[in-house]
Amino acid sequence: MIRKEGLSGYAPGALALWAICILFILVPLASFLAYGFLPVVDNSIVYEPTLDNFIGLLSNPSYRTTFLRTMLLAFEVSAFNFVLGYATAYFIWRRPPAWRNVLVIALAIPLLMSYIIKIYAMRGVLGTNGLLNGLLLALGITDEPVSALLFNLTAVRITLAVVLLPFMVLPICVALERISPAVLQAAADLGATEVQTFRWVILPLSLPGAIVGAMFTFVLASGDFLAPELVGGIEGFTYGRLVFSQFGLAFNWPLGAALSVLLMVVALVAISVARRLSNPRWQP
Amino acid sequence: MDAPDADSGHEVAGGKAPLLRIRGLGVRFQDFDAIRPLDLDVLNGEFLTILGPSGSGKTTLLRTIAGFQPPTAGGIEFDGRDIADLPINRRPFNTVFQDYALFPHMTVRQNVAFGLRVRGIDRAAREARVGDALAIVELEDLGDRYPAQLSGGQQQRTALARAMICEPRLILLDEPLAALDATLRRQMQRFLKSVQRQSGITFVFVTHDQSEAITVSDRICVMRSGGIEQIGTPRDLYYRPRSRFVAAFFGASNILEPCRVESAAGTATTVATPMGTMLVQGPAPRVREGLALAVRPEALGPLAADHSNRIECEVVSVSFVGSETITELRHPQAGQVLTMKARSDPSARLPAIGSRLEVGFDAAACALVTGAET
Repeated sequence: MIRKEGLSGYAPGALALWAICILFILVPLASFLAYGFLPVVDNSIVYEPTLDNFIGLLSNPSYRTTFLRTMLLAFEVSAFNFVLGYATAYFIWRRPPAWRNVLVIALAIPLLMSYIIKIYAMRGVLGTNGLLNGLLLALGITDEPVSALLFNLTAVRITLAVVLLPFMVLPICVALERISPAVLQAAADLGATEVQTFRWVILPLSLPGAIVGAMFTFVLASGDFLAPELVGGIEGFTYGRLVFSQFGLAFNWPLGAALSVLLMVVALVAISVARRLSNPRWQP
Repeated sequence: MDAPDADSGHEVAGGKAPLLRIRGLGVRFQDFDAIRPLDLDVLNGEFLTILGPSGSGKTTLLRTIAGFQPPTAGGIEFDGRDIADLPINRRPFNTVFQDYALFPHMTVRQNVAFGLRVRGIDRAAREARVGDALAIVELEDLGDRYPAQLSGGQQQRTALARAMICEPRLILLDEPLAALDATLRRQMQRFLKSVQRQSGITFVFVTHDQSEAITVSDRICVMRSGGIEQIGTPRDLYYRPRSRFVAAFFGASNILEPCRVESAAGTATTVATPMGTMLVQGPAPRVREGLALAVRPEALGPLAADHSNRIECEVVSVSFVGSETITELRHPQAGQVLTMKARSDPSARLPAIGSRLEVGFDAAACALVTGAET
């Protein structure tokens, strides 16, 4: 195809696609960014752009602590799910093909469910009369229900880990699925034990998928506000809740916008780091 | 050729112990035999090709030897040791896979070194041996490339070096040239043959391409629907096929049928064909039903003193196709048409169409074949 200079080279369909992208993605984002520059005086927005909001959020120590706590939380959830997700994906991959499909579908079904329902389900699991307490009591590990399972940062960690697990497992499954069986046979043929084949062939070939999964988990966990809101209690105050409070409680949209810009920067950094790591030199 | 169990290849073994001894090996998938129980000897240092059409069981046989496919019957001995129950990674030989199966995340050097790495050989020794192996396959300059950056032929040579690095006495090759274009294929055939000769490693090579088999092999084992049809040298199979299947697999033949054995004198058999009585070298086959005499077009020629068989024919057509001249002849009584292929001779006069021509062929250049037409 010959590519002409300027817009005349694009078909009307391509132009329409560009228009949709600009109108529905870039314009809302840009307007958001623009809000961040507007100061609020006496609960109303003044249309004189300043950097006050950004300076404010960077210099406010409580914002900084919340931000760092949330980043640590997102990192912990990603790291935990990296291990759990890899083990799950590996387990699924080693099943016979018929089983494999059933398990992957079972794993994907929660993705179709409402997010709030999943969090309430986790509340049910972690609550005083919940599944986990019932289990602990039945096993005789505790004599009375533990209330410390809910409304703290650990509850947020557990909830996010459970709810975000499919985002980790699925990309790893895809990466494992893409390993040619012949390559594994070649490893065995050359004398490799199962452990050697895993360390030198399976793991390096599926790591890009795991990195993509970790990136998804990190980005979703760092921006999440519903799970901390519903299971986090006072201790589980995260950056997502901070942003939410500016929009829903304080009605300080410009500060909320400025806070979200920082979150977007974090997401973009995470995505570009993952892109670098998951595209090794050997990939064609 | 006269041994009763000639199909196992014993007659060529000649007392030398085989490197690989396969006895009664069978592979059964539910209700169908991928390999009917068969015997096969692979001699030390030979280039043995397993040749057959798709579905003949050749790849299954190779995969069973390699250990990827457990046999349902029989045994495999390597160097006198039973290896049927040995896991893949403990079998003392290596495989070159059809699609090369290179490790995509490793460089050529790392791919080749893999076998040494799993054996815990230290880096310095590894580097030296990998360097030698890369020199053999002429890839010294590409050691740091990844498989995705290599051409098909280069990937092929990497796979060969990787299989050779641990100095196995046997290498199994599963249609390794199937993905290459015709020119590269011929080049790689010569290359494989020379590597095999210089290294002295026994090669068991699977292909469906009969010209490839003839080019590279010391011996060819022709397979058909899970069984061994015939084993022999390329010349054996070409000139002395035992079945119509083998005859047809290696190219066109003139088929004279029906044939009836008149007398057998141990080293030669006299048969009655519709075109007269013919002498065939070798003993009479055990099967006497459905016999036919197969004669290669280039074995036929204008009658000469050393021809033991003669046929008087009528010339139907003569076509000059450059290096060869193809003459079609009809036998007046039998009505059958024979094809004669001869090197074009610039000084010879082409026979006139409709003229009589006496042609002949040697008793050693024809074979009694059995079986239905394929």
